[in-house]
Amino acid sequence: MEEFSGEEGSFNSEEASNSVKECIQSIIGEESYRQDTVNQWTAKIVEQALTLMVKQTKSYKYIVSCAVMQKSGAGLHTANSCYWDTVTDGSCTVKWENRTMYCVVSVFAVALTP
Amino acid sequence: MTSTLVRQAQEWSVFKAAVVKECIHDILREQLSGVQYDPDEVGVLSRSLADCIKDKLKDVGFDRYKLVVQVVIGEQRGEGVKMAARCFWDADTDSYAQDIFMNDSLFCVAAAFGSYFY
Repeated sequence: MEEFSGEEGSFNSEEASNSVKECIQSIIGEESYRQDTVNQWTAKIVEQALTLMVKQTKSYKYIVSCAVMQKSGAGLHTANSCYWDTVTDGSCTVKWENRTMYCVVSVFAVALTP
Repeated sequence: MTSTLVRQAQEWSVFKAAVVKECIHDILREQLSGVQYDPDEVGVLSRSLADCIKDKLKDVGFDRYKLVVQVVIGEQRGEGVKMAARCFWDADTDSYAQDIFMNDSLFCVAAAFGSYFY
């Protein structure tokens, strides 16, 4: 999926991508995949990422989704399709991995009426 | 002003999670039954599924809604996967629906989010 590269006055996907990477690193950076804690991790990641987005105080609605998968040699693909205003709305997807797991976080920003 | 906008939302077709879930379920079952995980093709397959679901939802008639459809397809090898989502939106008008399809070769999660455009 091609990432939407924002123009001025629209969703800044690069900045969002950097914030999300830091957020993931701080929550699961040093951890190994554990089935009993992965629930908490995904919840923390989406909550923190959402809080970071909202702090930017632009008039957007946000959708943040996160998938954490154990590394077992299996493949994973994500795709998304969006019906929106391409000038004001945007998304960014961050892929992250460590030794034992993959993490994919997608942020979608939908503009409120100006 | 919010209540006027919400009333307007209710006059139009509200994003009903049950209706959307059924659309997603039908499309996944129709397109993925009997399909084996093939790393070369699954990228194209996931994109086409997302487009297909988005087009179907447009036809159903959520006129005032912006739509985001996300499809995740993975190979079944007994690994653990967890997916979560959080949304910052107007809970009176906005909603989402999701469905999961599994066979012994792959699993597929599809989520559709609808955001009302005032």
